[in-house]
Parts: sequence; structure tokens; C-alpha cells
Amino acid sequence: MKRVVSVSLGTDQRDHRVTLSLLGQTVMVERRGVNGNLERAESLIQILDGSVDAIGLGGIDRYLVMAGKRYEIADARRLALAAQRTPVVDGSGLKDTWERWIVEDLTQSHVINPSMPVLMVSAMDRFGMAEAFYERGYQVVAGDLIFASRINYPILTREELIELGRKLLPEMVKLPFWQLYPTGAEQLEAVPENHYEEYFDAADIIAGDFHFIKRYMPLRLDNKIILTNTTTDADRAMLRSRGARDVVTTTPVIEGRSFGTNVVEALLVALSGLTQEHDGWTELVAKARRELFKLTAS
Amino acid sequence: MDLLAALETFAEQCNQNQRLRQMNRDWNRLVELWATDTDQRYWLKSEAGWITAGPGDAVDAELKISARNDVLHDIFSGIITPTEPYNAGDLLVKGRQDDMMRLDIITLLIWGE
Repeated sequence: MKRVVSVSLGTDQRDHRVTLSLLGQTVMVERRGVNGNLERAESLIQILDGSVDAIGLGGIDRYLVMAGKRYEIADARRLALAAQRTPVVDGSGLKDTWERWIVEDLTQSHVINPSMPVLMVSAMDRFGMAEAFYERGYQVVAGDLIFASRINYPILTREELIELGRKLLPEMVKLPFWQLYPTGAEQLEAVPENHYEEYFDAADIIAGDFHFIKRYMPLRLDNKIILTNTTTDADRAMLRSRGARDVVTTTPVIEGRSFGTNVVEALLVALSGLTQEHDGWTELVAKARRELFKLTAS
Repeated sequence: MDLLAALETFAEQCNQNQRLRQMNRDWNRLVELWATDTDQRYWLKSEAGWITAGPGDAVDAELKISARNDVLHDIFSGIITPTEPYNAGDLLVKGRQDDMMRLDIITLLIWGE
């Protein structure tokens, strides 16, 4: 049986293991959180190297891809290079396609429509999703500066998002990752003084990274549609208890957990031997998506 | 290398930048800058979106930055970014991480790409 492990900088309270069938093969998928400890993540990857079929990097992106440019986060590069034999992926091979398709699907099925204002809590880390909204005429507020840096400045256009990404990302990716993104126990904490509720209130669709959403969301989310990534049953129950109309995860929910894009990409690499650089990758991603969402439905 | 002149030019560039004024409209901070090799101190003040700079102590500064005079000069002249000396341990910062990140972002928005 193939084995895939996602090494996550997040809390170990969300660890889980599941066995599933995909693309005609059985695979065991495991998540192992290291509570924000980069050194622990590095040694775990070294231990797993050569003994599993693919490793996912969770809670950290290796690559941020914006408007044709790819920026590599220094700490993630260090983690990826800790493995010499087993491929290490961060989910960026899926985000650009999969998260675009979600916006298309939801729009086509009339779950959402361009008259609904969107808050993307962070768009530089999922530019594919942001572009899908822009291309369909949605009014998007990108909250990268607000939620990652606590600078109360909403980014209101695609052009400004790209301009800011071009100016900031080349340097930001060199910073220690903990300065850029909540890791470990910080992921479980809500921000005590939250001055940014107005952005949630003004939006009908709240999209993007769940840890940013969770840290900054107001007590009420009445009638809002949440479009996010990895969540647990408890997370989705909490969003509904605050009034959210719908919670859509960009990756399928299997056994109560939505997988991170890094997990799905690691699954595909392990099962097919292909990576995003290979021909046929996009078709493989589409096929796996159909199968995984069928699993969700069944 | 005149650090004070560099700081005053930096403040002027921030003030001429409408986007930075908007970003800093609710960022009221006093920043102390200590050039460790010359033992000279300077300050930067952000108030309602406007930045001022001057020589001397900054009593009750919320953010304290120390480095050699040339490092501070080069950061506030856009010759280097704060990230490089920070990661190398040549730039020490005491204060809230958010404030340091903001200064980083300000310099990148003035001089980035």
C-alpha cells in the first residue's frame, strides 16, 4: 500500500490518518503536526525520506505564484531539501487549477454570483482563486496586508494586488515563516483586539486561508458563504453556529476532515509518479478531483 | 554617512506617498534608532499617517531598532532591505513584530522593484 505523510507546521491536535482508494490504488494518508517547530518538521522529513511515497508540506507554502512569477519561501525550501529521495510537495501544483475550478463550479451552479462582494483574507497565497473571482466580475477585497501584517489597507483591484505582490513578495519570502503566518498554537487563538470586523460584515463571500478567517472572524457570520481550505467537523459546526449559510471547502471532506492541497498533491504524486512539471498533470488533477469529491458524497 | 539626512528623506518619501499615508493613518508610534558604533540616537514618529524624524532620545519608544550607523543608513536610504541584516543578526529590534513588519513593508513600497 502506498503511504503519504503531510508534515504540517500546524498544531498536532488536528492530526489524523485515513486509508482510501484513489485512481485504482489504496493509499494511507497521515497528517503529522509539529506545533510550529521548524526543526522538528525538518527532522521528521529526514526520517520519512525514502520510507514513504510522497511528503506534503502543510501549514506552509513553498511557492507563491502570482501573475506568472513564482516566489519561494526560504523556510519551506529548507524543509523540502531535507528529503533527498521522496518527493516533497506543498500543494501549489493544485491550487492554481483546483481553486479556480471551485469558483467556476460555484458560479455555474448559482451558489454564488458576481453581485456578492468577496473578502479574500489572503490572495497572494491563492492567486488562482483570486483571479477566478476577478475574471467573473466579482468585487474582491484582498486582505493580505490586513490579516498577515495588520496594516488596515484593503487591496481593491487585481492590478494593485499584483503590484504589491511584486514589490513585497521577493523580500517577504526571506523572512522566518512564523512572522508571515500563524503556526502551531497560534492557529488556535482568536486575535483579542480585532479591528477588522467591518471587512467581514461587508462581504457575502469569505474566501481564503482558514487560519486567517478563524483568527479574525466576528461572532456573527449571518448568511455568509465561507470558501476555505482545511477544516474539521468542529470548525464547520462553529462556522454554522455563527450563522454562515454555507461552508465550502476547496478540497474534499473525507472522514470529517478536508484535506489540505499539499495532501492531495502528495497523493497524486505518490499514485501517478507525475509532478506538476509533467504533461498530463492537469488532466490527472481533474480526474482525481472528480473521484475525491465522489468519495465525499458517498 | 549622514543618517539623520537619510531619515529625513525617508520621512519625506513616506509623506509624499498617498498609499503609505493611508496605510499608516491609524499607526501612531515612536521609533528609536540607535547607531551602536557611533552611539548616536535618532527617532522616527508616525502620527495619523505622517512621519517625522529627528536626532536625540526617544523616550517611551514603542519600537527600538539598533544597528551600526552604516546599516541603518543603508536601510533608510533603500540601499538594502531590513530583511538581510535582520536575518544576519546585524539589526536588532525590540518591540512588536507587527511594527517591524510594517517598517519592512514601508521600505519595500518606497524602493521595492
